[in-house]
Amino acid sequence: MKTLAELRKIREKAQNDMQLRDSNFRFKVVVGMGTSGIAMGARDVMKAIIDEVANRNLKGILVTQTGEKGLSSMEPVVDIIQDDKPTVTYGNLDPEKARQIVAEHIVNNRIVQEYLVSTRS
Amino acid sequence: MQDISLHLLDIIENSVRAQAQNVWIDIKIIDADNLLVISIKDDGSGMDDETLKAAQDPFYTTKVERKKKVGLGIPLFKENAERCDGSFLITSSLGNGTQIIATFAYDHIDRMPLGKLADTILTAVLGHEEVDLHLETHRIKTDKEIDFKFSTALIKEELDGVPLSYPDVITFLDQMLNEGIKNTEMEEN
Repeated sequence: MKTLAELRKIREKAQNDMQLRDSNFRFKVVVGMGTSGIAMGARDVMKAIIDEVANRNLKGILVTQTGEKGLSSMEPVVDIIQDDKPTVTYGNLDPEKARQIVAEHIVNNRIVQEYLVSTRS
Repeated sequence: MQDISLHLLDIIENSVRAQAQNVWIDIKIIDADNLLVISIKDDGSGMDDETLKAAQDPFYTTKVERKKKVGLGIPLFKENAERCDGSFLITSSLGNGTQIIATFAYDHIDRMPLGKLADTILTAVLGHEEVDLHLETHRIKTDKEIDFKFSTALIKEELDGVPLSYPDVITFLDQMLNEGIKNTEMEEN
């Protein structure tokens, strides 16, 4: 069973890591988690993104969520926000597409045109 | 919603929108009574009587132009519980938070599965680092009781500023939730 004591080791490792680079988040990933988003599969999309962040050991990524985004017909919807770059919105996602977006957009810095809804500054 | 864990996520989102600092989730399966009991309590802003009434009724409105937008999440959850010989109680008042208690006849043929409870909690925890989430699951059998307790307050204290979205922390949380929930015999799909 997992115990809180294990967190101490992780904390020491993370604190060393964070001294080596900016403590700011490089990417903020925002999943639309309103009632319609949840009904359309937003939780599994978010879980897929979280799993990728953990498995690929991606640091400085904040995965967070928000309520309805007024894009109900395109749920599940995800925004990717980077400092001094336009916000990129992806829609009609599923876990597989979400994993692809992590690999392409976050790791390789390329927008995935196929799932793109909009970019705005 | 396909399962109870998705309803739960929807209710947690309501709590967060109501500026809750803490959300307490308690899930019990009581074998002797054939009962599944789900309680969600928050210390958010709470609702006045009119909003509370509106929150439970998908068609309720007092004005032609509805000022307070109320979604379908709560009425659907209520309907699901009541359809399974269960009950649904929501209590709230301004400044005192909100509590929902839903019960289901555990072996009712129409009862939705619990679903991926661990995923619901993990996404809610990471999605709202500023909110403290407290989960307890209890499997109460006729001869013994198995409990699991999880609280982000204790975890954050231990992490001392390391974000919950740090990769190793995500893996830790995922494993802790899955082990604990499975251990209390809650996991079902």
